[in-house]
Amino acid sequence: MTSVDLMALTPLLMLAAGSVLCLLIGALRPGIYLYAAAIAVVAASLLWSCIVSVEAALPGLSITPFSRFSSVFFCGTGIVSLLLAYSYNRRHGITGEEYPATILFALTGMAVACAATDLLMLFLGLEAFTFAFYILVAIRRDSARGGEAGLKYLLNGTLSAAILAMGMALIYAARGTLKLAELTSSGGTPEPLFLAGCCLILIGMAFKLSLVPAHLWTADVYQGAPAPVTALLSTASKGASLAALILLLPTFGTWDGLHDILWLLALFSMLAGNFAALVQSNLTRMLAWSSVGQMGYVALALVAAPTGGLKAAAFYLVAYAAAGLAAFGAVSALSEGEEFDAIESCRGLGYRSPLTGAALALAMFSLAGIPPAAGFMGKFAVFAAALRGGEIVLALVGMLSALVAVFFYLRVVVVLYMKPSTPTIESVRVPDFSEKVALFVPAVAILLLGVYPQPLLELLEKILR
Amino acid sequence: MCNNYPLLTILIFLPLAGCLLLLPLWGRASLARMVAFVVAVFELALTVWLYASWQGLEKMPTRLPGYLLLEDAPWIPSFGIRYILGLDGISLLMVMLTSFTFCVALAVSWNAIKERAVLFLALMLVMETGIMGVFLSLDLALFYLFWEIMLIPMFFLIGVWGHGRKIYSTIKFFLFTMFGSLLMLLAIIALHLLHAQQSGTATFSLHDLIQTQIPFATQLWLFAAFFLAFAIKFPLFPLHTWLPDAHTDAPTAGSVILAGLLLKTGSYGLIRFGYPLFPQAAEAMTPLFYTLALIGIFYASLIAFAQEDMKRLIAYSSIGHMGYVAIGIASWQPVALSGSILQMANHGVTTGALFCLIGMLDERAHTREIAAFGGLWGKIPLWSFFFLIFSLTSMGLPGLNSFVGEFLILAGTIKQSPLVVVLSFVGIILPLIYMVRLVQEVVFQQERQPLVLMDLNLREISVLVALLVLDVWVGVHPAPLLDMIHLPVQILTGVVP
Repeated sequence: MTSVDLMALTPLLMLAAGSVLCLLIGALRPGIYLYAAAIAVVAASLLWSCIVSVEAALPGLSITPFSRFSSVFFCGTGIVSLLLAYSYNRRHGITGEEYPATILFALTGMAVACAATDLLMLFLGLEAFTFAFYILVAIRRDSARGGEAGLKYLLNGTLSAAILAMGMALIYAARGTLKLAELTSSGGTPEPLFLAGCCLILIGMAFKLSLVPAHLWTADVYQGAPAPVTALLSTASKGASLAALILLLPTFGTWDGLHDILWLLALFSMLAGNFAALVQSNLTRMLAWSSVGQMGYVALALVAAPTGGLKAAAFYLVAYAAAGLAAFGAVSALSEGEEFDAIESCRGLGYRSPLTGAALALAMFSLAGIPPAAGFMGKFAVFAAALRGGEIVLALVGMLSALVAVFFYLRVVVVLYMKPSTPTIESVRVPDFSEKVALFVPAVAILLLGVYPQPLLELLEKILR
Repeated sequence: MCNNYPLLTILIFLPLAGCLLLLPLWGRASLARMVAFVVAVFELALTVWLYASWQGLEKMPTRLPGYLLLEDAPWIPSFGIRYILGLDGISLLMVMLTSFTFCVALAVSWNAIKERAVLFLALMLVMETGIMGVFLSLDLALFYLFWEIMLIPMFFLIGVWGHGRKIYSTIKFFLFTMFGSLLMLLAIIALHLLHAQQSGTATFSLHDLIQTQIPFATQLWLFAAFFLAFAIKFPLFPLHTWLPDAHTDAPTAGSVILAGLLLKTGSYGLIRFGYPLFPQAAEAMTPLFYTLALIGIFYASLIAFAQEDMKRLIAYSSIGHMGYVAIGIASWQPVALSGSILQMANHGVTTGALFCLIGMLDERAHTREIAAFGGLWGKIPLWSFFFLIFSLTSMGLPGLNSFVGEFLILAGTIKQSPLVVVLSFVGIILPLIYMVRLVQEVVFQQERQPLVLMDLNLREISVLVALLVLDVWVGVHPAPLLDMIHLPVQILTGVVP
């Protein structure tokens, strides 16, 4: 390992070392200051990835512009989630050092997954952050829902991990290599064993992206997990899975089945996600189902991968993540004692808690794909890619399900601003400074990406080449 | 050249800047009202200045024939989206209507909006930005962006400050328009891709896309998507059902803007984008367009006759009047099209005035039931005078503005489709019936309920006088406005290349 390699790996090492140190120091001197320390570590890692532009190819890992961009994205969402947790966890009695340590560990896993060059490393990265989420989802030991959510996530997750591992094993059996580059170059007619492996991998990834039919865990887990964890789970974890999928896609070569499977995943996710979200009365469940629908649009972009869909998928995910952070951030900032849940309990919040209400409303407009929010530009990119790829049917279904989605997203805005607030509700809590920052940053990102997406699009074009 | 200053950008973003000015005034409603009104008046002054100098501007050469001012800059090159704004005679008329209507809407809701007044004003200004953008964009993606942005403030306007079933109405309004717009977005992207295939350049610029050779079948699909989006805004039968609800439950300012401007974005879109982009498909769809417009005229007038709520009655009459605009566009002939464009402005003034009047009455009596009034001529003569005049305009009395527009539309259409014109002449009688009934029951007859009503105050009188001046001016001397839209109409209809 040369010094350049070390430079390139530093952000990853920072996260990993931060995680271990956090646990060790926490054992000696526990305290809330560890959150601040974790935020500092993540911020340092983010800055390093931004500024130090070195590339390195190590066995199993290679730091590329793509992996650096992904790490910056994960660290950004990680910081927002930690800022939310800083205040949320104190209110809910989650005081241990394991929380920031596990978050750092999850971020390490994500950074590994997006830098992997062979299947083994990819699997390790994916499972590392999923493993961290098993813990984070169930971190409220006194909450029955949390336990249930943790168990559901664990059972589904291990199953999908097994499927993923099996798929990789089959591919290894067929081709005799785990290296992504070699798998890509060894084209030719794919043998049945290889195809079986590809199918299993796609199903495993569908679980991570919560695409129908592997989506069933989503609503329960989102509802049961603490809001800051959900914020990270619904954004960074999806981003890492997408990054891994983007790395995997070239290995599938020109296999037609890939198109068909993604086509079906996209179709069912858009329909099931958006229609199921329509009937939810619980805000987090609604957001969970809607995220299934949103991932359907990402899958739609992936279907059109040969015609520029990857860029659209990545852009869509960034836009979605900004909205997801704002939405779950608002849920997190509003919950006190009892988990903040029902959509109806937002009545009049737009006036009583202007910043939180505005962030939530903006997130809803962005998720619904209405300009000038980032979601619109995301939908624009996705549909342009889909039509360019000739996916007219899927694009039409996507548009019509987007219309359904507009209805339930607007319902939240209606409750926020148009329904009279019930007099029995006690005063709403004012967000802390950390929460204000955590709401403000994604909100600004939503608007900026919605009005001037060009820099991000250019960057994505460069790194996805 | 006048383009040293980005006048069109200023025109669009001045209200948005005004909206930011309002932020520090949160909670100081009366000051905020002044600021918002000054911004709106300044905007109006800007458009009037443009009007005063349009003949000078026309002599300057621009890249596109017929345009007075153009602005062009790259915006999102990755998508091929440019920031192209253009002002021709038609846009200028619409822009003038917009800035004027917003002054009226702000003035008329001066005292009516008490709760959350600053938020209301901020949303009004955001909406003005959106509507200005719609009337000035020459890039389809940019147009679509503004087209959607103007929905959000209206959604809040109806939902927060409306009456009755306001939430139902505002969601219905939003979903109807979104339905059309989303399909139009797909069509816009498809058109963009077709053009990229043919010419190799990725662009959304209207005047590049017009060059695209589109096979007829494809053209039909794409035009259908555009037509649907615009027909919903128009609104054409059977897509009109959102309008009576939205109008009835909106606050007065919302109704004035809905009738005066949002409906016009539909007809404007058809004139600026729908017909020029897909000429063959548009021609093929003309019979359908005529039929829907005629059904709308008859159906809406009959329904209007049965209404008990004055605002709902005017809302239905709006559908009928827009039917004439639709006929003028469908015939796509210079005289009729000029009539349609003029009628768009006229309808904005007349119906806007009627909504203002009903809003003023509602503020005093807290009801809009026709059955609650009667004999108002004796009680509030000034109000009754204005109401009578604008009702007469709505009926198409010569010398007032509606007559001019309707006359031009029918005179232009008669050569092409005499049957349509004959039927529309029959349709002209219908507003007479329901408006006479309305005026007779409300203004004349015996007093039915002992209401204590104050007559108009100075603010209200000045608003109505301004509207009346425009009404009579266009009615008596429409030539300057017709001159202004003459060249663009000739270019659109292909008389001048």
